[in-house]
Amino acid sequence: MYRYDEFDHKLVQDRVQQFRGQVMRRVKGEINEDAFKPLRLMNGLYLQLHAYMLRVAIPYGTLNSRQMDKLADIADKYDRGYGHFTTRQNIQYNWPKLEQVPDLLEELAEVEMHAIQTSGNCIRNVTADQYAGVIDGEVEDPRVISEIIRQWSTFHPEFSYLPRKFKIAVTAHENDRAAIRFHDIGIVCVTNDKGEKGYEVHVGGGLGRTPFIAKKLRDFVPAKQLLAYLEAVMRVYNQAGRRDNAYKARIKILVHELGQEEMTKRVEAEFAHIDKANVLTVPEKELARIAAYFAPPAYETLEAESAIFEQNLAEHADFARWVDTNIVAHKMPAYAIVNISLKPIGGIPGDASSTQMRAIADIARRYGLDEIRVTHEQNLVLPHVKKDDLKQIYDLLLAQDLATPNHGLISDQIACPGLDYCDLANARSIPLAQEISNRFADIDRQKNIGELKIKISGCINACGHHHVGHIGILGVDKKGTEFYQITLGGTSDETAAIGKITGAAFTEHEVVDAIETIVETYISLREGDERFLDTYRRVGIDPFKERLYASH
Amino acid sequence: MPLIKNKNFHDDPFTRVADEAELPEGAVIVTLERLHKDAEQLMARAADLGVVIQADNIGKTQLGEDVRELAPYLEALSVIALEFPSFRNGRAYSSARILRDELKYKGEIRAIGDVAYDQWAYMARCGIDAFEVNQDVTLEQFNTAMAELSDAYQPAADTQNAIPWRR
Repeated sequence: MYRYDEFDHKLVQDRVQQFRGQVMRRVKGEINEDAFKPLRLMNGLYLQLHAYMLRVAIPYGTLNSRQMDKLADIADKYDRGYGHFTTRQNIQYNWPKLEQVPDLLEELAEVEMHAIQTSGNCIRNVTADQYAGVIDGEVEDPRVISEIIRQWSTFHPEFSYLPRKFKIAVTAHENDRAAIRFHDIGIVCVTNDKGEKGYEVHVGGGLGRTPFIAKKLRDFVPAKQLLAYLEAVMRVYNQAGRRDNAYKARIKILVHELGQEEMTKRVEAEFAHIDKANVLTVPEKELARIAAYFAPPAYETLEAESAIFEQNLAEHADFARWVDTNIVAHKMPAYAIVNISLKPIGGIPGDASSTQMRAIADIARRYGLDEIRVTHEQNLVLPHVKKDDLKQIYDLLLAQDLATPNHGLISDQIACPGLDYCDLANARSIPLAQEISNRFADIDRQKNIGELKIKISGCINACGHHHVGHIGILGVDKKGTEFYQITLGGTSDETAAIGKITGAAFTEHEVVDAIETIVETYISLREGDERFLDTYRRVGIDPFKERLYASH
Repeated sequence: MPLIKNKNFHDDPFTRVADEAELPEGAVIVTLERLHKDAEQLMARAADLGVVIQADNIGKTQLGEDVRELAPYLEALSVIALEFPSFRNGRAYSSARILRDELKYKGEIRAIGDVAYDQWAYMARCGIDAFEVNQDVTLEQFNTAMAELSDAYQPAADTQNAIPWRR
């Protein structure tokens, strides 16, 4: 993975001192909260319902054991012993004190981490496929260009006061796990018919109160020119994006209002100017330098079949069940990708205690070539482990309540922090996720239901991605009472779709029953090995509506 | 308002003139609208000429004026003042870059409006070289702010020799 050189270290240190100065000016009253707000936001510091919340960047979701250990230490020292992994592949701490944040940032800098641009109206932390570099069938490791984008977008002088926040996601695989079609810019690594590497660029996707699927503006941008192309998109947006209404300020609204053709025309004109100047052409040497950091690690030469693994599968049914759901094939046949579920039955999606973080760091160090990934579905991944070691890893995870065999199943939900933490929320998300998880606690039943993604947002801002849940749940407030609206058929993968609303919202007492009704309807209608989404697409929303509202 | 340029305070020789007001003697800064309307007369004067590019109050979507409209006048302009109506509104950062990088404008680009500590360095990187600041700003503060970030990852109007290009 990428390691800082002296330039990276220096800039992160500069930023820590700069932020220390900003906090000092705020504490002394030299700047008011209004002026301080965009500064702290650009450093990931929010003022929430009860306290400050700090969001730490985990660029493209990749970290090593030393970094995970540091995140655990920070959870103990500055928070209440836990952290919350988010849909941005980041981690959030809910209880830091303002005066302590500069020290916290200094500790992060020791392990090459920061909170730069994890919030604010700037280019946010770049996200990528969590299986980058280890899944078979990639054009290249998407983290190479992600790191180049990370650097280019860091302290970008022109794009730090945009109309609204700006998110970029990258994938290099035909199965989109990074939800690139729901980002401000989504990038797919591709090769053209001459065998040259480049990027397909999608612009203007997003969730929030007006969800849009991104439009493909370019089939192919040559690798060296990508930054020039991105700068063109950003400049068009910064000049023409709306600033009169925060809800209409995202680039998705600009693309929608201009139309794909006009947007493409403007971007191409801007790109021609920028590209002609030639100053944003990434040097070959730098491309190669960064690519080298993401070269495959030193895998051992092993038999593809692991006798120990097979024996453990045969002897331990619980282990076999976990392998069946949580293990994904690695491009090296003797290795495996492990999905660590942060969704224990009845737990809080994405939360990890400092003890759990240290245990995971330790496993990564001993068995995982020192690498850990964070997924946008709020789980963790050990990207390279030997099949031989899977049983030991399972036992270690099990001891920390980290071996729930529910990856991709109904209890593997995304949920925003909701009304328990967030001052924007209309309704609670976490308790609902816990209730659903408890209702479907039986793993055999979950496996019978199969792949089903529930995504819960506590308000229309859609941090819980409800629009793209196979079943989406949106918390709404009606005269001081929490209600939940249900959508069906959304997905954020390569078959991108926005869910449709079933009808009238449900009370918090009705909503779990409603989910169960939807699930039972699917079970009764499915043919063969259809997944929920397949059945939904075949039969449409009506049969679900009929069953949901039959008694109303 | 004090004006900082070349790391020092300067007297401002320019007078900002409202659209309906009569032109005074000496250097003036007019609106884009007036520049369009009275271009011939304004450019015929011996005194220096400047224009202000407003960032909002232009239609309901607050897009502001387009610096590309200045293309025909650039030779005659000594100052282009870019308005920052609030420091949250960063549209003029791009306006500055279009002026420098695309239109190759070499004269003064002045930041006016809400121009505060944490914006100066980014403004400078985008090609702004004059800053209308609040009364209480000291040169020491200004220079500290400009030096907070010692290097840059991306080329901009100030440098093409950013970190990835020198590694």
